[in-house]
Amino acid sequence: MANNDDKIICRCEDITEAEVLRAIEQGTATADEVKRLTRAGMGHCQGRTCRRLVNQILARKLGQNPEDQKPVTQRSPLQPISLKILADS
Amino acid sequence: MPKSTDIIIIGGGIIGAATGYYLSRAGYRVQLIEKGYLCAGSTGRCIGGIRQQFTSEGSIKLMLESVRHFSDMKEELGIDVHWHPGGYLFLAHSPEKQEAFLANIAVQQGFGLKDVRWVDAYQAGQIAPGLNIDGLLGGSYCPSDGQAYPFAVVNGYAEKIKSLGGIVNTFTEVTAILQSGGRVQGVKTVAGAEYQADIVINAAGPWAREVGLMAGIEVPVEPERHEALITEGVDYLNIPMLVDYRADGGYFQQFRHNGQFIGCYSPIPNVPGHSTASSYEFLQEMPKRMLKLVPALGPVKVLRQWSGSYENTPDGNPILDRSPLDGFYVIAGMCGHGFMLGPAIGRMAADFIKNGAKEPPVAEFALERDFSSQEAMK
Repeated sequence: MANNDDKIICRCEDITEAEVLRAIEQGTATADEVKRLTRAGMGHCQGRTCRRLVNQILARKLGQNPEDQKPVTQRSPLQPISLKILADS
Repeated sequence: MPKSTDIIIIGGGIIGAATGYYLSRAGYRVQLIEKGYLCAGSTGRCIGGIRQQFTSEGSIKLMLESVRHFSDMKEELGIDVHWHPGGYLFLAHSPEKQEAFLANIAVQQGFGLKDVRWVDAYQAGQIAPGLNIDGLLGGSYCPSDGQAYPFAVVNGYAEKIKSLGGIVNTFTEVTAILQSGGRVQGVKTVAGAEYQADIVINAAGPWAREVGLMAGIEVPVEPERHEALITEGVDYLNIPMLVDYRADGGYFQQFRHNGQFIGCYSPIPNVPGHSTASSYEFLQEMPKRMLKLVPALGPVKVLRQWSGSYENTPDGNPILDRSPLDGFYVIAGMCGHGFMLGPAIGRMAADFIKNGAKEPPVAEFALERDFSSQEAMK
């Protein structure tokens, strides 16, 4: 089984579980903070893959109830759009 | 309740974090209190540009110092803040702008910014490959201006505050400033906790007015919404930060460390208030302005948009001063330049507090001043 150092949580930004755990050790307790500290969720897919995984890790490590976790702010555009298409729209 | 720290700082952005770091280094026990997460206010929403091209002596000299701090930061904080001296190029498309920039360059060089210079349109195109030079007369270029990553900088300072014996409280909102007999005593939080300290610093950025009022102090800082966007990372093109002050201009740069383009513009008319909502208008308009300057960026994809607050004073200069309430200091109103000014402002504020001086270190940063003059390179 893969150890934490090579288990990828955020595929876009290449962030491992170990990096998320280090952020939690440093005192972060929300997905928003983990995002700013590690960049998990800041890549191409805007956290579509890792958002749930980060929340699961937070729930597991800090005993949080998933229903009480504050969602990360969703920002437009919902998928990457080229500057040219936006400029011509 | 017993006093746990020497100094309480309200606001976990660059100003609070840098000031807290330098005070911790000076031997004070610091408690940094932030109502959200670190950087949740203005700092984490800025585009990470760092320039020395200002027009007032105070700002130019502070920025010369800040750039030294940014370039030493990796070693000093033990964290890579992605400092990169990629330069800033201010574009002049009119004779008036050219004349103003030439005058500014003389002022800047006089105050010690030696590498700022006027470049003609051809040179600008060499400095910024792909720049559209149609109608361009030239620009004011300073290669030692640069960029860094705001989250890393603030996090680095916060970790240092902790390792030097201080405390960092996130998700802790201050609702009252405790005072007695004309002296500040501490703060009270929304959860009802009271923390005592002899010195309390208002570093609340866009909320500096509200925090000031808790102490009965008028702080003339008004938030103003600015929108921004960021693209995917692409190969680094070695283009400096481009600043186009025309009504349909904007500013953007490419991060050296991951190739993302990040940019914003100042809306006309301005948008006062605390809102950090995003508009579709900006998402259409900013790409137009970017492609007007660098047409080859067309295929680069936008990942997200957001907005944040400038925290403006009436004259465009910061406030760094004590206040009529003994022990209550105000370090705010950075007018959209807090991230770049932060390291030097933090160092200066810590020295000011340590020395116990009556007058602020820079007269133009006084809390009670004539706010009618203007910083031209806002």
